[in-house]
Amino acid sequence: MHDFVANLPQTLDQVIQSVPLFKPELALIGAFLAVVCATLFIDKHWKQSSFMIYIGGLLISFPLLCQQLGQPDRGFFDMLIIDSFSVYARMLLLFALLVTGVLIRQHFSEKPTRRPLGEVYSILLAAGLGLHLLTATSNWLIAFIAIETVSISSYVLVGYFSEHKRQSEAAMKYVLFGSVSAATMLYGLSLIYGFTGNLDFTAAAHLQGLMAAPVALCTVAILFIFTGIGFKLGFVPFHLWTPDVYEGAPTPITAFLSTIPKIGAIVLFSRLVHAWLPTPFYFSEVTYLFLVVVAIVTMLVGNLIALRQQNIKRMMAYSSIGHTGFLLMTILAISNNNQEVLLFYLTVYTLMNLATFAFIDAIECTTGSVELSDYTGLGKKFPLLFTCFTIVGISLVGLPPTAGFIGKLLVFTAVFEVYQSSKDILFVLLLIIGTLTSVISLFYYFKIPLFSFLRKGDDESPVTPLNNRLAALLGIGITVLLLVLGLFPNIVLEFLR
Amino acid sequence: MGLLSLLIFLPLAALLLIVLLPKTLQGTFKYIALGFTLFQFLLAGYMYSQFDGSATGINQLSGYRFVEQLSWIRLDLGGLGQLEIDYLIGADGISLPLLLLSSLVMLMAVGASWNMQRKAKGYFALLMLLNMAVMGIFSALDFFLFYIFYEVMLFPLYFLIGIWGGVNREYAAIKFFIYTLFGSVFMLLIIVGLYFSVTNPETGAHTFNMLYMMNPGNYIDGSFFAYGSSNAVWGIPARMLGFIVLFIAFAIKIPIVPLHTWLPDAHVEAPTPVSIILAGILLKIGGYGIIRVCMSIFPDASASANWWLGLIGVISILYGALNALAQKDFKRTIAYSSVSHMGFVLLGLASLTAEGVSGAMFQMISHGFLSASLFFLVGVIYDRVHDRYIYHFRGLANIMPKYTGYVAIAFFASLGLPGFSAFIGEAFVIIGTFNAESVGTGIPRWMAIAGSLGILLSAVYFLWTLQRMFFGKTRLKGSEEWFKALKDLTVREQVILFPALALALLLGTMPFLVFDKLNASVLNLVTLITEQL
Repeated sequence: MHDFVANLPQTLDQVIQSVPLFKPELALIGAFLAVVCATLFIDKHWKQSSFMIYIGGLLISFPLLCQQLGQPDRGFFDMLIIDSFSVYARMLLLFALLVTGVLIRQHFSEKPTRRPLGEVYSILLAAGLGLHLLTATSNWLIAFIAIETVSISSYVLVGYFSEHKRQSEAAMKYVLFGSVSAATMLYGLSLIYGFTGNLDFTAAAHLQGLMAAPVALCTVAILFIFTGIGFKLGFVPFHLWTPDVYEGAPTPITAFLSTIPKIGAIVLFSRLVHAWLPTPFYFSEVTYLFLVVVAIVTMLVGNLIALRQQNIKRMMAYSSIGHTGFLLMTILAISNNNQEVLLFYLTVYTLMNLATFAFIDAIECTTGSVELSDYTGLGKKFPLLFTCFTIVGISLVGLPPTAGFIGKLLVFTAVFEVYQSSKDILFVLLLIIGTLTSVISLFYYFKIPLFSFLRKGDDESPVTPLNNRLAALLGIGITVLLLVLGLFPNIVLEFLR
Repeated sequence: MGLLSLLIFLPLAALLLIVLLPKTLQGTFKYIALGFTLFQFLLAGYMYSQFDGSATGINQLSGYRFVEQLSWIRLDLGGLGQLEIDYLIGADGISLPLLLLSSLVMLMAVGASWNMQRKAKGYFALLMLLNMAVMGIFSALDFFLFYIFYEVMLFPLYFLIGIWGGVNREYAAIKFFIYTLFGSVFMLLIIVGLYFSVTNPETGAHTFNMLYMMNPGNYIDGSFFAYGSSNAVWGIPARMLGFIVLFIAFAIKIPIVPLHTWLPDAHVEAPTPVSIILAGILLKIGGYGIIRVCMSIFPDASASANWWLGLIGVISILYGALNALAQKDFKRTIAYSSVSHMGFVLLGLASLTAEGVSGAMFQMISHGFLSASLFFLVGVIYDRVHDRYIYHFRGLANIMPKYTGYVAIAFFASLGLPGFSAFIGEAFVIIGTFNAESVGTGIPRWMAIAGSLGILLSAVYFLWTLQRMFFGKTRLKGSEEWFKALKDLTVREQVILFPALALALLLGTMPFLVFDKLNASVLNLVTLITEQL
């Protein structure tokens, strides 16, 4: 107690000095509080107030984030890491949150709901805060708190709009799965803390503690932790919740779930892998083998099950599982001096997914269906939309001339580089599975043009105007961006370097 | 912008024009497409006439003409080194004849689409996109650029077969797509491997430049694809593995037996103009890829694998011919005859002699416009009665004399009658293969004999088809109705057919028109590979 009191001034100094590093997040917190107040008092008079504050918060946070560019720093007793990796990841998060916000507003202005929308924006901001923390820490405690913030926000988002049984079931499944994996992760963390007495997974004491710990228990603890992260990322075998939740949630919420939490979780995971893999001890072996096996199985399972889906949201759920496998492969291949490969792939993945869900949403608002078979003949009615949708599909497969191709090429390049220096045959296997699953994915992504262009619909039905034009426009804009990035990837890659 | 870029991107301008014009001007789309392809053809013809035959091409940039080089993507990838991608295009004796052929076949295809009414906007736009991709493939000298054009080619074809095709079009379209994509994604891995193994001697950066990949001096010592390296994956030496993967990617396009099964489906379901493009241009991309990429970048592997290449060629020749004999669908017969004729290309390339390789090139060009006319001829009766089952027709010569005349000429030209172009191509391939044993490239003489047997079989199926469908007393399945529908060739159809068949005769009597242009490049290629024997 005396120690604590004696150290208090220093501690406080440290905290106060670190506060400026927290500016972008403070902006989010401020916006969060403002949105909560706005929902209570202002929304009655001006319906858009909460949305405007949401957008404003994100827009204020962005320049604050830009200030941190090129100024690596640490704060709050090394719990907060500001480096270029986290800055870029957070920029991507803010962009994705902005797009999702617009999609949500559009979706519910087409399909009015009884519940006040303002609260959704506040929850989104809370999730954004958690994700920001996730990208900027190497401390287990902060990571756990961040994961929980994101998880709880996601539960609310999924359950908030549930109107029938299926949606409630999805939300319930999500909560149960999430709580169990969080508990498992916490248990793993407590074991790790017991072994090492240190919560920073990059610290030397932490690594030494792990090396000294009993093999069996340490393995169990590590696997427990991966359960928690695995749930957030949705890799096999922790993927079971995704299809139901993706299908049950309103489309813009699905757009959120399928992309944004992944950015944070992948960044955290790659920090962890980079801290652990280079050490020559068995827990790095465990991590390495676990990652390779999970990456391969996830790519295969995600892509193969997606083949059989008839509902496009379910299909996208399995597709995102497949992409998670691909991201895991990327994590294995990159090192500290080529993080832009991972960041570029994440950026492209975010863009592709947001565009896909924007299109799905626009079509859903017009025809009221998310079944692939109901897309039959729609290509004739909305040629521009479906051409762009097809291009996004091409990008998701990873074919030129789209950004998806450049992303895959960079990842393959990175993996090949690792193979050339390590001669580990597992990397060849990863490469082969990675390419093979791209071919498989062609089958299901091309169901979109198959139904919309190749199959003939009933030509009699009148051409209905497209509802939710803004979502469609957003999607088309992102498609153009994907094509431009496919031909001139320098624009983003040079920025990320 | 140089001439070659103009040739590649003219169709893109046509595409933009077609997309931007409103649907009410639907009637003008075909004129736009025709105008642009005609201009393209004249441009290609002009370039062909300006090309001097002394350009050696293949592995020296100085041996190329119409070269354009712009730096495109420059990236510092940290641990992955400097990334260098150029917009590098050029033409040598191998690619220029194929560029001219492509523009001619495209012109024929646009002519064959003259009556296309349904969704004309999308149709002509996709046709122009395909045109651009094909021209790009034949001109690209940077592997990255080549790959982009190669993949972009797939999308318009998928839609052209899938939307305007026959009953089973969905199956045929996706089958075609998957086959080609399967080959090309693994090609991507090899490209990545090559990128790591090769540096630009001037800048020291890793490069996608194909010409640098052809020079053994540019490989980094100890890199994956380095010459003489001991790298192996599952027991296969790295350079042989690279060769095999690239060969499979292009062999699917040629196509070789047993990777040919997409071809009959695609041809049968595709509309006539798309069949023309498939047979006339796309199969040549396979042959071109093997020359430009497989054999030039991996000369050592192709020198040791050529026996297998020859064997695959012979099998394709015989198996394709026997299959053609067994077909009852007119279009399927022609499709399998393509498999057989493209087998000669592979056999000629495998012989590694100047005669054989020139013969293979000549065979590609000759087969290009001959198969295009054959598919057009099939389209003629299919347009009229929507049937092409061989046994549903008999004695067509009595009611369609002009048509029968054209068919007979096309058949005789294709089966290798002296005086027509196919004869020159096949004869040179056989001569080259026969000489291979004396030169010592490892191709036994029986392959030449088996190849000649293929010529004999092609005479059998072509003449038998002619006999079954055109001779004898006129009997048609659709009786009176078909009699009325089966009108003889129109002027438009003759305008399309006549130049192609005249060309077959012209090249058959004056083969130097082609040989003069490609000789230097072929000799350079043969030297490059035989050095490694």
